Amino acid sequence: MYRKLRLCSSGGGYEAVPDIPRRVDLTRIRVALEADGLRVVDARVMLIAGEDPEVTISQNGRVLFKTSNPSVADRAFGRYLPLIEAATVETTSETGGGR
Amino acid sequence: MSRGVMLMSGGIDSPVAMHYLLRQGHELLAVHLDNRPFTDDSPLSKVVDHLAVLRERYHQPIPLYVLPHGPTQITLMRETDRHVGCVLCRRFMWRSAERIAEREGATFLVTGEALGQVASQTLSNMRNATASVSLPIVRPLIGFDKSEIEAVAKSIGTYEISTRPGICCQAVPDKPATRSNLVQILQEEERIDVDQMIDDCVRKAVIL
Repeated sequence: MYRKLRLCSSGGGYEAVPDIPRRVDLTRIRVALEADGLRVVDARVMLIAGEDPEVTISQNGRVLFKTSNPSVADRAFGRYLPLIEAATVETTSETGGGR
Repeated sequence: MSRGVMLMSGGIDSPVAMHYLLRQGHELLAVHLDNRPFTDDSPLSKVVDHLAVLRERYHQPIPLYVLPHGPTQITLMRETDRHVGCVLCRRFMWRSAERIAEREGATFLVTGEALGQVASQTLSNMRNATASVSLPIVRPLIGFDKSEIEAVAKSIGTYEISTRPGICCQAVPDKPATRSNLVQILQEEERIDVDQMIDDCVRKAVIL
């Protein structure tokens, strides 16, 4: 489960954070997004994909949409959420900062 | 007066640091490391607007070099220890700025760093970041606190630009090291081709 989308601290985007720490399989998400024809930057601990809005999906499940429009972010989150839920491989107290 | 290269981030501090040196009569060039896709385009647009304010105030052309830093960040995130990512990132910024300084005949580098403000600005992290370059580094704001810097930013007309909405750097790790070790930093850099990365970054510089 995710908390409600909220404006990020610097006000330039909307983020969604899981209720409970989790770890997502970014490779699985990347493969799925690329199969849909999206350009994906794989930075190992996060993926950056799509346009309008561009999305950052972190290994710990945090998702950031680069848009100041909450409706656009909400619609995009609806598209990405099933993919992220399906790629959640374990629940962990780690937040993904390691190597 | 001498010529220097100023690292500009789009934040509150760097235009204030630049203001102090311009006021003393130094000639400055600006370098912005463009962190997209780990940010949006707001940092660059803020730097452009900061420079417009300072150019007008000090009647200096202040050329802006924009260097693509995103590819460097991707390599660092893939190949090196995330905990020291901010120090590694800063080392690339300094090296890139020094390369521009050599090209432009500048003799010093300038930053808006103030001690202890963020993870990369502890004494050990600053020392280890700047160990990557040999030009002298000027930090006009090193002992300022945030409220002092903000007050000056408001007085020179850059605060409102700096505080416009934007995306913070997404490459910052959850738990960045605040006390880094130079031996470890150098070991991490052995995993990557530093010279090639700097060459690629500087070669793709755009002057605005």
